[in-house]
Amino acid sequence: MGAREEMQSMLRMMMMIRNFEETADRLALRGKLSGGIHNSSGQEAVAVGVMSALAPDDVIATTHRSHHHTLAKNFSAREVMAELMTKVTGVSKGRGASMHLGDVARGHFGGNGIVAAGMGIGMGAALGIKMAGDKKVSVGFVGDGGMNTGRTWEAINMAAIWKLPLIVVVDNNQYAVETFINRVTAGGDLAKRASGFGLPASTIDGQNVIEVRDAVAAAREYALAGNGPTFINMLTYRYYGHNTGEKGQYRTLEEIEDWRTHRDPIEQFAARLFKEGLLDQATYDEMKVSVEAEIQDAVEFSENSPHPDPSEVMLNIDSGKLRG
Amino acid sequence: MEEVFIPALGMAMEEAYLEKWIKQEGEAVNAGDVIALIETDKAQVEVVCETSGTVGKHRFQVGASVPVGNTITVVLAPGESE
Repeated sequence: MGAREEMQSMLRMMMMIRNFEETADRLALRGKLSGGIHNSSGQEAVAVGVMSALAPDDVIATTHRSHHHTLAKNFSAREVMAELMTKVTGVSKGRGASMHLGDVARGHFGGNGIVAAGMGIGMGAALGIKMAGDKKVSVGFVGDGGMNTGRTWEAINMAAIWKLPLIVVVDNNQYAVETFINRVTAGGDLAKRASGFGLPASTIDGQNVIEVRDAVAAAREYALAGNGPTFINMLTYRYYGHNTGEKGQYRTLEEIEDWRTHRDPIEQFAARLFKEGLLDQATYDEMKVSVEAEIQDAVEFSENSPHPDPSEVMLNIDSGKLRG
Repeated sequence: MEEVFIPALGMAMEEAYLEKWIKQEGEAVNAGDVIALIETDKAQVEVVCETSGTVGKHRFQVGASVPVGNTITVVLAPGESE
């Protein structure tokens, strides 16, 4: 893929994720989904930047807010939307809904509802990769809310002493539900804290998809060379409440507006591509239309898909043997 | 035309009690105004409009139990009618 195609494909993926999330949020408010969602609007560059640096068989393990990671790892809008409606055509066959998207065979070790658990699962996957002698890496996503949780640092310590091919990505939207990260973080600097474990650690602009991609590409090379884990704190922002319908009054309207208008990852990247001659207006407009059509198709597909048959409730129960 | 509806605010929430109309039929509203107060299983919630315009017909009366997702009124842009 040439540079132009690659950049446009990254931009389109971010636009698709944004449209998907805003559509899903509206459906959730109308009671059309099986439960609410954790909307990732605003955090697209983290997901797309990370996946752009990974090979298809690299592993990810994620969090309660995982739609953007899942879509960016090339799961289709259809299968993710169908899962949000717990339809049998969903990525988890309608058993998981929003918080349990995943498919081990495709390198997605799942989202889950436990703070920082995905990062620990990512560490376990990295151990598995090392034991099997595979040439791939594992990305463990964790939110800022997981930064003051014990298991996070246990996992990072283990990854460091065993030099596991783990990339710790902090999808840092700065608010753990209602709690601002700076109010609860002793020492204040997460990268500095991580560097105490003797691994490369940095804080980067999570709204800049290229900066994200390059940081993860470097971490991947470092891990594949046998050097062990890297910690990357990506500063980002969520535009909506923690979950569907949450009317957050812990952030000022000015703060939200500032991030939306001055630091939006999609607008910033599109502007950059225009400036570099890698995108023209007709192509950009076409992308918007095709993204809208793709998401509407995903909604129709999901609405027309059946729920799992109750007689199959005992299928897909894990007997201790993972697929793939 | 914006449909103002009862939002689903939890997995177990099936309906809401319409407690009070804050904006009357035909009244002018601005985006962000509270249109009605509803009560869910857990809390009192303000139902807010996202656009500016005129409030349409109240489709439910105070005291009604309204299923989640149902439109309770609309906000009409200039020139629009229900």
